[in-house]
Amino acid sequence: MNKFVPVILIFLLAIFVSIMVGPAQLTSEIIQLRLSRVILGIFAGGILAFCGGVLQGLFGNPLVEPYTLGSASGAALGGSIGILLFGTISPLFAFFGSLGIGFFVFTVARIEGGLLRDRLILAGVVMSFLCSSLVMIIMVMGGRELYEILYLLMGYLGIIINAENRLFIILMIVLSVVLMLFLYRYHRELDIISQGLETAAGLGIDIQKFSVIIFLITSLLIGLTVSLVGAIGFVGLVIPHISKLLFGPKHLYNLPASFILGATFLLLADTVSRIITVYELPVGVVTSLIGVPFFIYLYRK
Amino acid sequence: METIKVKNIHFSYDTKDVIKNVSFSLKQGEFLGIIGPNGAGKSTILRILCGILKPKTGEIIIFDKDINDINKKILAQKIAFVPQETHFALNFPVEEIVLMGRFPYLRAFQRERKKDFQATEHALMYANVSQFRERPINSLSSGERQRVVLARALAQEPEILLLDEPTSHLDLHHQYAIMELLKKLNAEGMSIIIINHDLNLASLYCQRLVLMHEGCIYSKGTPQSLINEKILNTVYKTEVKIIKHPYKDVPQIFFHPKGE
Repeated sequence: MNKFVPVILIFLLAIFVSIMVGPAQLTSEIIQLRLSRVILGIFAGGILAFCGGVLQGLFGNPLVEPYTLGSASGAALGGSIGILLFGTISPLFAFFGSLGIGFFVFTVARIEGGLLRDRLILAGVVMSFLCSSLVMIIMVMGGRELYEILYLLMGYLGIIINAENRLFIILMIVLSVVLMLFLYRYHRELDIISQGLETAAGLGIDIQKFSVIIFLITSLLIGLTVSLVGAIGFVGLVIPHISKLLFGPKHLYNLPASFILGATFLLLADTVSRIITVYELPVGVVTSLIGVPFFIYLYRK
Repeated sequence: METIKVKNIHFSYDTKDVIKNVSFSLKQGEFLGIIGPNGAGKSTILRILCGILKPKTGEIIIFDKDINDINKKILAQKIAFVPQETHFALNFPVEEIVLMGRFPYLRAFQRERKKDFQATEHALMYANVSQFRERPINSLSSGERQRVVLARALAQEPEILLLDEPTSHLDLHHQYAIMELLKKLNAEGMSIIIINHDLNLASLYCQRLVLMHEGCIYSKGTPQSLINEKILNTVYKTEVKIIKHPYKDVPQIFFHPKGE
């Protein structure tokens, strides 16, 4: 339990570092700018890792990540269409893209009877491929918009929180917290499902209903996140594993730990992405670059 | 008194009928065995009884209530299910696994209460796994793991225990340990339904047997009345020799090697 203390300390340190470190001189404006990145980073990294943990639990599959279910690809597709039409990233388009694809995946999975849980994952993967091809088509068609789509696909924490969008972003964050708390209610169900669906059903869990709830809520959360910061990879796949290595299999502990670790990791990755080159790298590139060796190291230990 | 009454249930996967017009009942405190060849529909029946599958037609009454009218968590307080083999994707300590048997009694965010820990403790002792309590589940042998699963089922404090071939992958020692444990539970009032491929074990421990064949009940009765060479020859298409058990008046089955 007291492992949470060092993890939270590192988290606070990461916040401090991402505000202080960077090429520009520290003025109140720069601090303001970096503060908005910090807020987005905590929000995005935390949600992605938390949802990854929930989904890996539900599907009993360590390779599942938030983007497996298609809602992230949907957001990328929606966002790309928005960029094509209006020339700039619009979170609303991305969000509706994600909702649309999520709904489509759900409908496809429900066409025939059988276990919804296993069909969702198949439908999600297939729809992700479809979305990726459509995004590619848009990228080929578009010229100068290419650059913005690339950032949408790789992830970018650069949205500046200003007086115009402040209310909108606060609303998103409050909604996400409520949704995550709702998912956290099911920590025992997720523990039990790791022992197979028969065991879960025998203990009184309605698998069909449970799968639907988890799918809908995580899709909503991921849609919200990706529409704001793009499809940042790696965090949702690997942070839950690191969290389980450190905090054990019990979701009561490893889900909140995933949130904090995911947020910490994304803040550090973002700091690196700002200082490593003159031009800012998409943060998704950095998460994979520093995350993979770290994960291999931890796994071997 | 009857704890479970199954009336004319049908079940099919897609177009293949797996259960056809099956009716039987489980009396309070009874030790009932379901036997039959592979694919006869035995496991499907257990899954229907604990609410995992829904029959297409027919009725299941549990303690005078239709199974569809019983909340799933309430049902899990009355009936516990031990699957044939459990795969543990996450390596929980034994104690945590058994504590999960208390799930049907807990609301979301509710902490485990004193009585939950007591029931867990009791189940650990009863299934003789308390010495492993801190060990990760995947460090145990399959026989020990099966006892942990049984302990989890006991932590549910059920009135009925359903077991799907609990001894099928186990060595002699663990088979015996599990069957003796079930016998002791039954003597203390637990109603039990067990699927068993080992007809000798079924004959030795069960009070009554249901023999399934191609989705139907072929025959019901005590081991003495049901297990005979003619029936086994028809249902299993195998020549066997039957001899009385040396210590108990129940039939035991022997193969007859060809040409000997």
